[in-house]
Amino acid sequence: MIRCENLHVTFNPGLPTEKLALRGIDLCIPSGEFVTVIGSNGAGKSTLLNTIAGDIRTTQGHIYFTERDVTKLSATARTKDIARVFQDPLAGTCGNLTVEENMALAYGRGSRGNLSFALNNKLRSIFREQLSRLNLGLEDRLESEMGLLSGGQRQSVSLLMSALQPSTILLLDEHTAALDPKTAALIMDISSQIIAEKQLTVMMVTHSMRQALDHGSRTVMLHEGKVIFDIAGQTRANYQVKDLLNLFAQARSDGEELDDDKLLLDA
Amino acid sequence: MSTFAFLGTLEIGFIYGLVALGVYLTFRILDFPDLTVDGSFTLGAAVTATLIVAGVNPYLATLLGTLAAASAGLVTAWLNLRFNILHLLASILTMTALYTINLRVMGKPNVALIMEPTVLTPFEGLGLANMYLKVGFVAVCALIGGLLVAWFLNTQYGLAMRAVGSNKRMAQANGIVVNEKVYVGLALSNGLVGLAGALFAQTNGFADSTMGIGTIVVGLAAVIIGESLFASRSILVIVLSCIVGSLLYRVAVSMALNADFLGFHASDLNLITAVLVALALVFPKLRNEWKAKRAQEDTL
Repeated sequence: MIRCENLHVTFNPGLPTEKLALRGIDLCIPSGEFVTVIGSNGAGKSTLLNTIAGDIRTTQGHIYFTERDVTKLSATARTKDIARVFQDPLAGTCGNLTVEENMALAYGRGSRGNLSFALNNKLRSIFREQLSRLNLGLEDRLESEMGLLSGGQRQSVSLLMSALQPSTILLLDEHTAALDPKTAALIMDISSQIIAEKQLTVMMVTHSMRQALDHGSRTVMLHEGKVIFDIAGQTRANYQVKDLLNLFAQARSDGEELDDDKLLLDA
Repeated sequence: MSTFAFLGTLEIGFIYGLVALGVYLTFRILDFPDLTVDGSFTLGAAVTATLIVAGVNPYLATLLGTLAAASAGLVTAWLNLRFNILHLLASILTMTALYTINLRVMGKPNVALIMEPTVLTPFEGLGLANMYLKVGFVAVCALIGGLLVAWFLNTQYGLAMRAVGSNKRMAQANGIVVNEKVYVGLALSNGLVGLAGALFAQTNGFADSTMGIGTIVVGLAAVIIGESLFASRSILVIVLSCIVGSLLYRVAVSMALNADFLGFHASDLNLITAVLVALALVFPKLRNEWKAKRAQEDTL
């Protein structure tokens, strides 16, 4: 379970460039729930995700994993509970290490690295088995340098890596945005499989309203650092993209139209 | 080149092979260009020589010299990580400070070890000529150092260190404590360089405040020469190629100095070094260009 209590994040406080990125987010994601987060550019989606991951310090408010207050824990310490997949396929893996070395790193997540060999045949067979799920032929390329793989392949491996260690929370940051539609669909497919299999608590930030409605069980929209609507269950099941747009317009008392082209295009 | 000169070349080559291992750890593994080594080479030599003269066991003195140099690496890492000073600048600051510290450690510009016991003393009764003994000893040291570094980089801890140098964000997302790896890496690197300094002082019979000047360039030359000759993905091969690179570099330098028709003097060493490093850097690029050109011509 992730619980955010009155989260505030301010960048460059007291300077002319001060930005109130999050302005009081209250959000509770029960264990095993898959929440999609949408919002226009600058709404605070990525800030929220990075704050939960521990990359960004909170200015005010608290974050709890289950009942444990993790507000003061570093990003590294939070990796015991959190696995992440980044938007940039290059960010989630090391280009100049091999596929198996990258997977070995993910396999050791949360445990202290010790002086035993990082790779052995037992691990290799686990990795091979995992990679074969992708149907990309990567199971025969364990010793290839990660940098030689395509963006889609790298993102697929990142996804597998996030599930190599038991974790309770998975944070997906527009993880299909940089991929072509076919690969994006494949990645989304594998994501859903892994999430269902491991019963993860998931927060997925996305730019696409379609994707937000098609996946998960609950959708939250952020605007200017606040939650402007939060739908789930039957209401959400009946929703179409245009309903989301209407809801957005209603939620904004001044009737401001959603002006983000990308949001509309992806719809 | 006489046998004596050749053995001398190999001896220096193996000693600087340890320097190359250290430089490889910082430049290549951690992506942290560290110039501290110019100071920590001398520090290792200065501490060891001073302690030996004071009557300390040479092995203990060598260990302490190595640890002193390792702590110099920690200072550089601290300046960089704690205060966000650019890595290059942080290492230059430490290197500059070490020049004074080395003079203070020795109490004078140089310490002679001519009649003192050294790490070689226990082996002198074995009937091996001194010059062979020296080469053999430093060769064993360099090879053990290389094997240990290769082993280390293949452990979970070493792999985590490689990840830090390759992609900090990924490393962090996988629970790796980035700063700790940088501290340990710099300490190991400078420790190896300090050990090289300590061995140099004992095999050559002196420690001198200026002996470390240019250490970084020599180490880098060895790493780059090794890399351009042995393109491999195996850590063991890469690490051993650093040592081979150091040997080849020394052989190339002494051939250049010995070739009468070139007319070089011993004082031309720095120019030769710079030219050799430049060649080693340019060679792989030219080779790739030739290959690309030939492939293009073949398709036409």
